[in-house]
Order: sequence, then C-alpha cells, then structure tokens
Amino acid sequence: MDDSIVLAAKMESLDKAVDFIVEGASKLKFSDKDISQIRLAAEEIVVNIINYAYPEKAGNMRISYRTEDNNTLVVEIVDSGIAFNPLSLPEPDVNVPLDKRKIGGLGVYLVKKIMDDVNYERKDGRNILVFTKTAKNS
Amino acid sequence: MESKFSVNYSDGVASIELTGRLDANNAPNLQEELKKLIGQDVKRLVFYAKDLEYISSAGLRTIIFAKQKIGVDAQVYFTGAPEAVTSVIKMSGLDNFMVIQDNYNE
Repeated sequence: MDDSIVLAAKMESLDKAVDFIVEGASKLKFSDKDISQIRLAAEEIVVNIINYAYPEKAGNMRISYRTEDNNTLVVEIVDSGIAFNPLSLPEPDVNVPLDKRKIGGLGVYLVKKIMDDVNYERKDGRNILVFTKTAKNS
Repeated sequence: MESKFSVNYSDGVASIELTGRLDANNAPNLQEELKKLIGQDVKRLVFYAKDLEYISSAGLRTIIFAKQKIGVDAQVYFTGAPEAVTSVIKMSGLDNFMVIQDNYNE
C-alpha cells in the first residue's frame, strides 16, 4: 500500500478517514464525479465500521490505499471488530415507495453500484474490505 | 462550502434548505429538526438543494424519514440539486417517489 492511517472507529474520525481516501484519489486523473463517488463509498464503508464493528468496546480501523497503472485506486479498510460481511446484506428493493422503505442496506448497495470492484474477507480476526475504482479515459 | 440546513413550516408546506454536504455527520441534526414537524398537517415537503454538493445514504435516510414520519401523504419535491446529488438519488430509486425539479414549481 502507498499510504495508510489508523483511526479510532468513532464518528469524530469520519471526515479524516474520508479526506485521507479522497487525497489518495486526487493523485490520479479522476473526474469530479468519480471523486464524489469515491467519497461516497469511503463514507458508507467507514460509517458501517464506526456503527457496528465494536459494539462493546472502543476499537480502531486502518485505512490504506495504493494506486495501480496510474489510473486505478485500491482502498483497503480493516477493523478487528465482530465478523461482519457488509456485502452479505440483502439488497434494498429500490422500487418500494418511500413510505414503505426499510432503512438498512442502502449504503452498501450504493458502494457496489459505484465502485468497479468490492471485496470482503475475514482473516485472522479482522474484517478486510477492499474497493477499487479505475479512472475512465476521457 | 459550510454544511448547514434550515427547516421551516408554513401553511402545510415544509421547506428544507440544504447547503454543503448531507452526510453521516450532520444527517442526525437535520433529523432532529424534522422531528419538530411531527403532528403538523404537512402536505408538501420541499427540499431546496441548489447548494447541496454531496449526499450519502445517511442523507437519503433523512428524506425517507421525513416522508414516513411527518408527511406520509405529502408530495415530496427535491429542487435545484446538482447532478452529483441527483445521480445518488436516482441510484437509490428515490426519484420514483418524488418530484425532481430545477426550480420549485407546484
């Protein structure tokens, strides 16, 4: 990984975590729309960890990124909280009217839609989530 | 741009002005403001989003909350938002259930 940062898994860390990832993205030639989508994916994944990874104690998350082929950003977010695969959440039915909408699953659904690749792995007591976005030639 | 919002109610119309980012940091504050409208006879929920740069699922949930808790029968308008915001709304399917406009026009 090119760079990484360790932050407390709490809401006060959200801006720092997202800005760190966006800073990595800014080293590549992403469009403003791509950057906005990377910001969104970063927030959704980090907020999930902040809200759910450590229900009974404080904990950390490690955020790393690397660039590949001068056009691809790979972001890895690791926590050592309870085992949780966000990709296993059922997809929300986006055709359900607002007044009947269930609240969960929307963030991860967006991440899957806007990133080129999203992977989850549980290894050595840690949740490892990796998402990838490639800048399109334009 | 500084993130801020205001909520006003008058004659059955709830007007919500959004500026900057609506994310997990400040969506709970907006939700608290919206809760004050519970019990009012809200017929229209009008979001003014010309200066909204960014919205995440936490922000989308606030819109869903507004519809479910304060305006079940209300028509929802989302006006003036830039493409970066409307594209997220469309991905989530919320555009099927509200009027997306450049300017508020009943």
